[in-house]
Amino acid sequence: MEFLFFLEDSPLGMAVSGSSLGYLIALSSHALGMAILVGVSLMLAFRAMGFASAIPLIAMAPYWQVALYGFVINLLSGTVLFIGNASSLAINPAFLIKIGFITVGFFTTRLVVKTAFNNKKKKKLTIQNRLLAILAIILWLAALTSGRLIGYVS
Amino acid sequence: MKNIIATLSASSINDFIISNSWVWPAMEVVHFMGLCLLFGSLLIIDLRVLGFAKAVPLKAVSTFIVAAKIGITFNVITGVLFVIGDPARYFVNVALQIKMILIVIAGLNAMYFTRKVRPKMKTAKKNFKPSFSARLAALVSLVLWTCVIVLGRFIPYGENL
Repeated sequence: MEFLFFLEDSPLGMAVSGSSLGYLIALSSHALGMAILVGVSLMLAFRAMGFASAIPLIAMAPYWQVALYGFVINLLSGTVLFIGNASSLAINPAFLIKIGFITVGFFTTRLVVKTAFNNKKKKKLTIQNRLLAILAIILWLAALTSGRLIGYVS
Repeated sequence: MKNIIATLSASSINDFIISNSWVWPAMEVVHFMGLCLLFGSLLIIDLRVLGFAKAVPLKAVSTFIVAAKIGITFNVITGVLFVIGDPARYFVNVALQIKMILIVIAGLNAMYFTRKVRPKMKTAKKNFKPSFSARLAALVSLVLWTCVIVLGRFIPYGENL
């Protein structure tokens, strides 16, 4: 707990919680990163479910790089937001659940990309591809929902 | 302006939104899902037009526009409900006003894209490179929606920007 207060009192923590501009920059970066990460992940999952079947499966693979940029933006902005509010976020159930969903959602989407898009010879989606894609979509929607609820359960 | 705010504040939708504590967060969740659908779909299409992921056929990539249409529908509906739910705050909000102007410009840009660019994409052969104006429209789309997302986050704090 002491460490969490130390984070909040650090210069970065103060810049986020003390100034409304610092907080707003971190917050808007976090929304943009989410739009990139979740948005592109959803589109990849849609393709892995059979949507837009005129696009070759392997051709979708480069978009995962785009999703990763979103992930990096949110890892950075999320860390900054956490530092600004560490002691209350660390015990916020919505926040903890959100982190869980993001972790599982991220690796599930990565698995979707590896199994559905990373094989030149692959022409047809299997039922496993489709089910994994549906799981990824559910996990991202759950992460987004719990993230939205952070401000309501504190 | 005061009349509109008073009318909306007295409406039954306003009453429903503010008297049920779950409604506002539920609308926020839908609004965020909508923005992910919209921006994710545009990233797939616009980046392809800009030259990324060239193995994706230009002919087929605009299939993803369906997701953008669903997303914008979610967001227009929830956006209007936010304003009805708290008109006194939203009608005077500078961040929201700028956001709305940018959405209108993004809409005009999307109209240009649909009418002038998409027909050419539909008949595009392999190795077809979109024209400069097509690429510009794709870039403008991504820049405008990025600004819209950022301004959206400024709304709760943007009463006196």
